[in-house]
This record gives sequence, structure tokens and C-alpha cells, in this order.
Amino acid sequence: MAATTVLPRPKAYDDTFFRPISIWLTTTDHKLIGIMYMVTGILSFVLAGIFALVIRLQLSQPNLSVVDAETYNQLISAHGVTMIFFFVTIFLTGIANYMVPIMIGARDMAFPRVNLLGFWLVPVSILLYYSGFLTGGALNAGWTGYAPLTEKAYQSHSLGVDFWALSLIVWAISGIMASTNFLTTIVALRAPGMKLTRLPLFVWAQISTSILLLVVGAPLAAAMILVEFDRQLGTQFFTTQGRPVLYQHLFWFFGHPEVYIMILPGFGMISEVVPVFARKPIFGYMTMVAALFGIVFLSMTVWAHHMFTVGMNTYVEGFFMLMTMLIAVPTGIKFFNWIATTWWGSVEFTVPMKFAWGFLATFLIGGITGVYLASVPVDTQLHQSYYVVAHLHYVLFGGSVFTIFAGLYYWFPKITGHMLSRKLGEWNFWTLFVGFNGTFLIMHTLGLEGMPRRIATYANPSWATTNLIITVSSFLIAFSVLLFLINVVRSWNGGEIAGNDPWQGNTLEWATTSPPPPYNFERVPPVRSFMPLRDLRESGEAVVAEPEPAKV
Amino acid sequence: MAARARALIGLAAAAFLLSSCDGLGGISPIFPEPVSPNGQGIYNTYIGISIPAIIIFIGVEVALLWVILRYRRSKQPAGYVPPQIHGHTGLEVAWTLAPLVVVLAIAGYSFVELQKDFQPITGEEMLVVVRGHQFGWDYDYGNGVVIHQEGTLAGDVTPFVVPVDTLVKLQFQGTDVIHSWWVPAISGKTDAVPGYDNFSWLKIDRVGSWRGECAELCGVGHGTMQIIVRTMSKSDYQQWEQKQLAALKASPSPSPSPAKASPSASPG
Repeated sequence: MAATTVLPRPKAYDDTFFRPISIWLTTTDHKLIGIMYMVTGILSFVLAGIFALVIRLQLSQPNLSVVDAETYNQLISAHGVTMIFFFVTIFLTGIANYMVPIMIGARDMAFPRVNLLGFWLVPVSILLYYSGFLTGGALNAGWTGYAPLTEKAYQSHSLGVDFWALSLIVWAISGIMASTNFLTTIVALRAPGMKLTRLPLFVWAQISTSILLLVVGAPLAAAMILVEFDRQLGTQFFTTQGRPVLYQHLFWFFGHPEVYIMILPGFGMISEVVPVFARKPIFGYMTMVAALFGIVFLSMTVWAHHMFTVGMNTYVEGFFMLMTMLIAVPTGIKFFNWIATTWWGSVEFTVPMKFAWGFLATFLIGGITGVYLASVPVDTQLHQSYYVVAHLHYVLFGGSVFTIFAGLYYWFPKITGHMLSRKLGEWNFWTLFVGFNGTFLIMHTLGLEGMPRRIATYANPSWATTNLIITVSSFLIAFSVLLFLINVVRSWNGGEIAGNDPWQGNTLEWATTSPPPPYNFERVPPVRSFMPLRDLRESGEAVVAEPEPAKV
Repeated sequence: MAARARALIGLAAAAFLLSSCDGLGGISPIFPEPVSPNGQGIYNTYIGISIPAIIIFIGVEVALLWVILRYRRSKQPAGYVPPQIHGHTGLEVAWTLAPLVVVLAIAGYSFVELQKDFQPITGEEMLVVVRGHQFGWDYDYGNGVVIHQEGTLAGDVTPFVVPVDTLVKLQFQGTDVIHSWWVPAISGKTDAVPGYDNFSWLKIDRVGSWRGECAELCGVGHGTMQIIVRTMSKSDYQQWEQKQLAALKASPSPSPSPAKASPSASPG
């Protein structure tokens, strides 16, 4: 291939970035909507991260009162809700919104106006949740909001729970819209030659995620509607007189697949990043796809593993234990395939690849502790303890957040036309890796020693040192995120020009300009395998350039 | 073969070693030393799972490190073009089946423990009804004696007293929201859920006292709902019980009333 020629940034697209705010409010362009999703996600990440720092300050020593117990309970709930519903899921929807149509060679999503509505429901959902703070206090029962603690009898002082329930109903509707849109787009708008067996694995991951959210979004909304009936219409579904455990079944039928909604797109991004930087095709494309669907199926049969202490029949518990452990099989396939992809490779440890490898090294721990937690007898000890907090952060931070950083460093040049600074990126990675493990690795031991989660403070002096180490490390994470934000702002405004294909990518998004013009391609390149761009490069055909894209 | 067997034994020994050094500066890789058979069962299961877990952890992390050390671009000759391998059916089947066998073994092993120690028991020597409320625990011995363990962080809570070497069945009830009774040295946690009774048991093999906490977020006083379980020798326990009964007779008020006092009296 000829030396990479630096193409000028297309003028027409630049205009869209700096036009008045109206363009952002009314756009149906999947790329602009994708950026808004991602920015919303990152802002939520920062906000929920600040909550986490307050939580860590409160727990750094025994018997502190940085905040009172009621505020603490609202903070842990807001931290969980914001991270899960408003950061990870929203950010991943955004990056998929941006990338999926380009990767399949489409001009936009199938239903651009549904896309617009789906996105704008997200700020509505966020504002609804935070309105709770204005009514005397937001949700204070943890992000899971177990009944009957959320019932009116125990929440007389505020409407926080109502706003949380409404917020999640709106959120579920938004998610269902996005999922429908993704599935339709991928089924109907693929470029000529883009057979299902040639879809990039990130697109496959988005298919599986969308199916999951379609199936489990409605039960979440149903659970929230019943909570509202109990609170406002005096029904007795989940009250002390009703069936509180029914709420847990409904919530976790959504809640466990939600974990996979937050990690499968990350798996997809790792499957894009690893082959590009190893200069090898993904190992076992078909088993990678099969593993995704194995996870989709299994993830809907494991919800009651969150409920091993409520007193179920031991055979029912045995079933959920077995299904949970079986998830290790498809996840293991993906792990081994990723490693095999790099075997004998020529691996360039760029920042996205470092995050990908950091993800593998840490997510492994989350996966292994997941097997301990799945074992019913062991879970009765570990459940609702700091071991679980450590485990879930290994899965969601070591998993989702590391993959998000990998994806961002990988695709930021495509989205903005500028590279993220490599030097700051290295600092970002290493401080995050050390800070993250420093925070969450020894947290396992707190749980083993008997520290329950969600306690506002504690008297036991033997937990003090560990908690202090965790708090100090958590500020290293905050520092790292600050570096990341500086990097994004500085690079967006003046980073090194990326060109169309800075990484020598495999997939179609690297065929168009950075950032892509409206409607993405003037002429979609031919697709002859699941690595269409690499085929072009190797066959010596000119990569299709877009000299002068149409005006918006 | 022999080398591999030795490595396995070494790993098992490492797992046990890990288990023996509890409380190293407050950082422990395993639960406190169990004092009840069901806690011991959980403890053993934890160690059993740790053996394959440690092997897999080390194996995968070493593979990841090996890729960093051996296959990074700077270690490859200039102009190296990696072999374009798309997959290998045999390998892919192998790393589907191998984890499957491992998790089936772990699930089976755990299920045996589940059947052994988590079935509803009969033949108990004592039954105590444990009621969780905001924010404390009431232990109803059934003979009129009720211990009120009101939550506090200011000092030790009133201990729940049981005789040593006695099979005690615990019957959990939730009176308002869900609570969860957890003393790590004894066994796992059991939820006290409003609407139905939950069961667990203990048979503590030594005299002493052990701490625990409420493990289900139950409101502002959740962190104060500490638990202390104290065991006494059987003769001491009988004396203690007589004293409690005598105190009951002396006070004219019937037993069930004190439960009322709890919600407002306990500090957040």
C-alpha cells in the first residue's frame, strides 16, 4: 500500500459541528446522535464518579460522618443508577449508533426519527431521576431498589422512588427504540456483499445486545409500573403484605441480562481492536458469533443467582447455579480466541490495544470470582458483601469501562479526525490500571472478612487500613479520568490529524473520511470478506476517497 | 506426568496455605475460621473452587504476558508478516469442552455441599425465631425469653446467646422490610423476608463470641444492625436461661410488647 496520504478534513462536515445549537437539537444524523449519546454518557460517568469519591471518603475510616446515612444511601443509589443506566448503556448505544451504520455500509439508521426520539428520551430519563433530589431525597434503596424498602410505608418523606421508577420506564422505552432500530438497520441496510457472515464482530455484538434489551426492557418497565401501583394506587404487589421476592424476580430478569447489555458491545470492540493491532484475522469468527448468542441465551436463565439467600428450593438454586457457571464456557471461548488471534502475531501495543489487554487481564478476575459467586453455598457468604462490590467492578469497570476506553481511543480519530494524544493516553492507561486494581483487588478481602455492602459507616477497626488504601487508590482513578478528559478536549481541538485509516483497519468505517461525511459514503467499497478494507489494501485497489461530500 | 501431579499438589497446598493465614493485617484471602459445620462446608467448597480457579487465573495471565513479551511488534523481525490463521476447529472445540468439564465439576461439587448443609433440618435441639426489624434483631426462644438486639455503632449490641455443641434451628421472619442475618464465622447469610419464614441452623463447636451484620440494605440504620452471637457451655447456658426466666416472672408485663419500641428509638 502507498504511504498514507493525509486527506483534508471535509469542509461540509465541519460546519455541522459548529453550527448553532439547532443542528444538534433537530439532527437525525446517526453520527451526531451518536456523539450526543456518548457525551451524555461521559458526563454521567464523571458525575457518578464524583459520587463514588464522596462514598469512598465516607468509608475511608470507621465512624466517619462526611455525609449522613440518608445522604449516603441516596449517593450509592445515584452512583449505581447513573453508572449503569446513564453511563455504560448510554455510551455504548452511542458508539454503536455512530459505528454500526458505517461498518455495514449504510447511510444512516433505518429509522432516523425514532433514533432522534430515542436519544432525547435519555435526558428526560436522567432529569426525571435527578428530580427526586428536589422532592426531599432521591432513591435511597440502592440501584436495585428492593421492595418493600421502596414502598410508601418506608419512604414517606420523598418522591425519589417515584421519579426513579418513571425514569427507568422512560429509559426502557428509549432502549427498546434503539434496539429495534439497530436490528432493523443491520437486517435491512447492509451494503451489497455484506452477508451476515461478513458482519464485523462489533455489529454481531450489537445484534445480540439489542435482542437482549428488547426481551428484558419490558419486564423492567413492568416491575417499575407495579412499584408505582403499590406506591400511588395502594396495591399490594411487593409490600410487606405482598410478595417482595416477586419484585426481585422481575428486577433481576432484567438486571442480569443488563450486565451483558453492558459488556457484549465491549466484547465486540475488543474483537475489532485485537485483530487490527495483531495484524491477524480474528481467530474463530464463527465461534465468536456463536459464543455471543450462547451468552444471550444463558444470560436470561440465571437471574435468580442474585437471590440465593431468599430461601428457594435447593434444586431451583442448583439450576441457576449450573446455568450461571455455564456462562463461563462462551466467555472462555472468546478469551481463548482473542489470545489465539495475537499468537504468532505482530502486536502493536497502541493505547487502544493496551486497554484491550488491560481488559483481558482484569476481566478474567471478574469472571473467576463470578464462578465463586455462582456456587450457592459460597454465595451465601459472599452475597451482599464487599466481595460482590469488588466482583461487579471487575466486571463493569475492568470489563465495560476498559473496553469503552479501548473503543474510544480506537475510534476517536474516525469521529473527530484527530488522534488522541498517545503520551497522555499511556498515562491514562497506566494510572487507570494501577488505580483500578488498587481500589478493587483488596476490596474482595473486606467482603471475606464480613463487611456488608451499602453500610453508611462501620465500627470494626480491622477494616480501616484496607478501606483507606481503597480510598487513596480511588483518587488515582479520578486523576486518570481527568487526564482522559484533558486528552479528549485538547486532541479534539488540535490533535494530530488522523487521516482516513490511521490504524490500517479491517472494516468499512476506515474507508471513509475522518470524520465521515453526511451519509457516510459516496460509493460503498466492495465487500468480499469480513475484512473488506484489508482486502482493498492488499489487492492494491484505491481506497475510496471522498473529495467533496454533499452539503447537509 | 509426575511433574504435573506435583504441580497440582503444590497448588492445592498453596490454596490451603492461603486459607491458613487469615487476618494478615486485616487482609485475608478467605473467610474467618468457621465454628459451625455448615460454615465449614462453605469454607471447604471455597477452597475446592480455588484450586481450578488459581490454575486458570495463572494460566491465562501467563498467556497474556507471553503475548506482550514475545509477540509484540518490536520483538518480531522487521517486515514480519504474521501467519493469517482464521481458526482451528480442534482447538476451538477443546477450549469449549475443557471449561465445560471444569464448571460442571465445580457445579456438581457445590451441589453436593448445597444438599448437605442447606436443606431444611429436622431433629434440632433448640428453635429460635429471629425477627428482623428496622433496626435490630429479636431472638425469640419460644419459652418467653426474647433478646432484643437493637442496632448501634456506639458499642457492642446485646449478644444472642446459644449453648455450645447444640443444633439450633433458626427461623427468620421479616417484620417490615427485608433484612439479612450474617455472621461469617458461623455460616452464610439468610434473608428475613416479610411474608414467609426462612430457615438456617448453627451448631457452634466452641465457647466464644462472633460478630456479624445485617447484609441487606434496610434503611438509614442498616449499618448499625450489628450482630453478636455468644456461646456458653451447656451448664452456663442453663444458668443464664434460668436467670432470664426469673427476670421475666419478676416483671409483670407480658413478653410481646417490647418489640414496639424499636423504630423511633434506634438512632440512624
